Amino acid sequence: MLNYILRRLGAGLLLLAVVTAVTFWIFYVLPRWAGVTPRGMAAMYVGKAPTPEALDATVERLGLDQPVAMQFLEFVRGLLLGQEFTFGRETVECAAPCLGYSFTTNSPVLPQLLDRLPVTASLAFGAAIIWIIGGVAVGVLSAVKKGSFFDRLAMGTALVGVSMPIYFTGLLALAFLVHKWELFPVSRYVPLSEDPVAWFQVMFLPWVTLAFLHAAQYARQTRAGMLEVLGEDYIRTARAKGLSERRVIFKHALRPTLTPIVTIFGLDVGLVLGGAILTETVFSLNGIGAYAIDAIVGKDLPVVLGVTLMGAVFIVVCNLVVDLLYPVLDPRVRIAG
Amino acid sequence: MASTEPVVRVDDLRVTFPTMDGDVHAVNGLSFEVPAGGALGIVGESGSGKSVTSLALMGLHRGSRARITGSIEVAGQDVVSASDRKLRRMRGNDIAMVFQDPMQSLHPQYTIGNQLIEAYRIHNPKATKAEAHKRAVESLDRVGIPHPQKRINSYPHEFSGGMRQRVVIAMGLMCDPKVLLADEPTTALDVTVQAQVLDLLDELRTDLGMGLILVSHDLAVVAGSVDEVVVMRHGVAVERGDVRTVLAEPEHPYTRALLAAVPRVELSRAQRRAQDRAERDKREGRVTEAGEFSAFTPTATPAATGTDSSEETPLLRVEDVAQRFGVRGGVWGRTTDFWAVKGVSFDLFRGETLGIVGESGSGKSTLSRMVMRLLEPTRGRVEFEGRDITHMSERELRPLRRDMQMVFQNPYSSLNPRVTVGDAIGTALRVQGERDGRKVRRQVQELLERVGLEPDHYNRFPHAFSGGQRQRIAIARALILKPKLIICDEPVSALDVSTQDQVLRLLSELQDDFGLTYIFVAHDLAVVRQVSDRVAVMRAGEVVEMGDSDSVYEEPSSDYTRQLLNAAPVLDPDEARSLRAERREKRDKKTAA
Repeated sequence: MLNYILRRLGAGLLLLAVVTAVTFWIFYVLPRWAGVTPRGMAAMYVGKAPTPEALDATVERLGLDQPVAMQFLEFVRGLLLGQEFTFGRETVECAAPCLGYSFTTNSPVLPQLLDRLPVTASLAFGAAIIWIIGGVAVGVLSAVKKGSFFDRLAMGTALVGVSMPIYFTGLLALAFLVHKWELFPVSRYVPLSEDPVAWFQVMFLPWVTLAFLHAAQYARQTRAGMLEVLGEDYIRTARAKGLSERRVIFKHALRPTLTPIVTIFGLDVGLVLGGAILTETVFSLNGIGAYAIDAIVGKDLPVVLGVTLMGAVFIVVCNLVVDLLYPVLDPRVRIAG
Repeated sequence: MASTEPVVRVDDLRVTFPTMDGDVHAVNGLSFEVPAGGALGIVGESGSGKSVTSLALMGLHRGSRARITGSIEVAGQDVVSASDRKLRRMRGNDIAMVFQDPMQSLHPQYTIGNQLIEAYRIHNPKATKAEAHKRAVESLDRVGIPHPQKRINSYPHEFSGGMRQRVVIAMGLMCDPKVLLADEPTTALDVTVQAQVLDLLDELRTDLGMGLILVSHDLAVVAGSVDEVVVMRHGVAVERGDVRTVLAEPEHPYTRALLAAVPRVELSRAQRRAQDRAERDKREGRVTEAGEFSAFTPTATPAATGTDSSEETPLLRVEDVAQRFGVRGGVWGRTTDFWAVKGVSFDLFRGETLGIVGESGSGKSTLSRMVMRLLEPTRGRVEFEGRDITHMSERELRPLRRDMQMVFQNPYSSLNPRVTVGDAIGTALRVQGERDGRKVRRQVQELLERVGLEPDHYNRFPHAFSGGQRQRIAIARALILKPKLIICDEPVSALDVSTQDQVLRLLSELQDDFGLTYIFVAHDLAVVRQVSDRVAVMRAGEVVEMGDSDSVYEEPSSDYTRQLLNAAPVLDPDEARSLRAERREKRDKKTAA
């Protein structure tokens, strides 16, 4: 068992290292291959319209004229030990893990990301709770009442849910629920620690919008999985024991149905934690996704790189959690350890 | 037990499934009774309605489209009209069920203890967890699970197939049911394990005074375990009566046919061949030269067994072959070696049949795959017609593939469902260079007739055929290139007894006509004896005994062979019972020692 945990942890770390290398390669090596000169690169990092001297200074500061290997070492060192950036007389400390320095906002990237993390985390976890509970509940009911009116209605709605993009459902919700019927306040994000009620009011619509899309997908998968499990021999055994239908469904059929769903759930939560770009944009939430969009539009490469790395970390971590949870859910995995 | 009332009474049971093509009568007017503590066997082939009947007894058709009329009484309770709640109270409490496939019938994600305790507490809600736990341990001990106190916390995948079936039986015993309903409880198990499970069921019945309903496709399985037998066909009981009478003097022609089809371990190869040839002559004497088979003129007269073949070079020589597989696991996923076959040697002469018997995991399939060179032996040497093929490349092997063909176990999965029968058989000809499409078609159609199918089956897809017909197609596919050697890997184990018999007969006829050489791999001792000149008994990757089939069967030299022969199901109810008593005595002696 310990062996399994260590192996999974090791694999997670390795994956992070690979993701870091690939991200670096995309941002530093690929442009050079495409024929961008060190000064051209520097221009991308500085933003605005710089003087040739400023460009040269940036090239030197970022070591853009150095060999790729040296640059990578420097990048990794920044991640692990921190870096210093000097601007004339001024020196800015970028503590480890240093994800880079944004020249547009004149500040290190990580603190800004961490500032916005609570918004994205609120959105991600809230929506995740709604979609996993809603999706699985609808899926189970649909499977148990297969072919009924409820089943057809639910699966029809799910099809619509999967097909409609968030900027459509989101804007629809904003237009009617907020602006026309004024059921929800027009408000900026309020931290949970400040005013839980206001936080809930602000977050409710984004949660439901984001959850709707995922719940639809989960409902369909739960239904399909449940129908398959209900055909298994051990379900017949359970019925032959004299168990009630409720116990057959909730004890014997639900667990094997949920096992594969947990895997996707982990990945999806990781993905949304890395920034729910569409939802954040539609609802003007100042989260990581919105930050990434601003950076892309403003060509603020260090920020884009930082967001990418952070998103990767979330996915790897969530995946790791699922991997560690799996033997608990399915004892057959345990022997592999 | 004191009551003389039957525990199960079925009267004029009809189970109908409405389909688009009208109603299907799966069971049509079935009646039987099981007295308290009595045992009833229900025998029939697939589609006879025996499984539908057992599900109906448990009321497990509720919620499906099945329409049930007639009456089923279990422990005085009418199953057909009972409320769901009453039905649930009956299931597991008055009547418990044991299913066919022990690998699938336990929940993989709960410990067996959890599943056993649940079975008890659902019917005894006042029982504490500790009581239920104690009872579960007793029950596991009762069915012969070693160290039940410890094993109760194990998951199903930590048990072998036979042990899992014991666990399912233990689960059935939790509430002291009045009847145990076992639907093909040993079909998925090896011969020796089958004997153990049947012995256990019999022992439980006599010790606990429980009724037993044993459902099987094999008369020999029920012979030694039941008092009364019902033979079913197309949803109707064609014969019902005392097991000794039915087996000794069957009245209905179907029962007689079924009995005749059961492979008998006491029948030798020579006897069976003589029988088959006589029947064939009689049949073909009447039908004047039907199905002339021009492309396949017999290449040899029926092989003279043994005498002159010893001088020539063998068709196949296998010398000390072994196969190693890496098994992942251990610290840091290091692989450990597992030897599936550990050094097997034999010669095989033209026209001869070598039978390889063994239980699952004995290495018999791995051995046949090495002979076919589907696997490269880790060690040793395989010679085909004097040529060393042990390490030949796939390209070098290709011309030789003509000469050796294989027939697989499962006719349902070994034919591609999207390829027509004609293409499936003809492809081999095309692969070997035949370009003339009409010629291919003609040859395939002739061959289809030869294996007992129709020429116009050429364009049909496999799903239109029954299991036996599919196995005939598979045989035709193996035959089309006029091979010298055919390896049959459990060719009849997925088939019903009567279909089994027909396929065996076909194989034997083809051997006569084309001078084929067979390697016949199977776990069924009786089947192997009837088709083999020589027999190799395998266990754990080694040949424990090899020799002339009659001598191996009549004077086995190894303990393991004796054990296998002793475990094989026997048709004679009295002999089966005395063999069982012998086994029990032996076991008691062992535990006493």
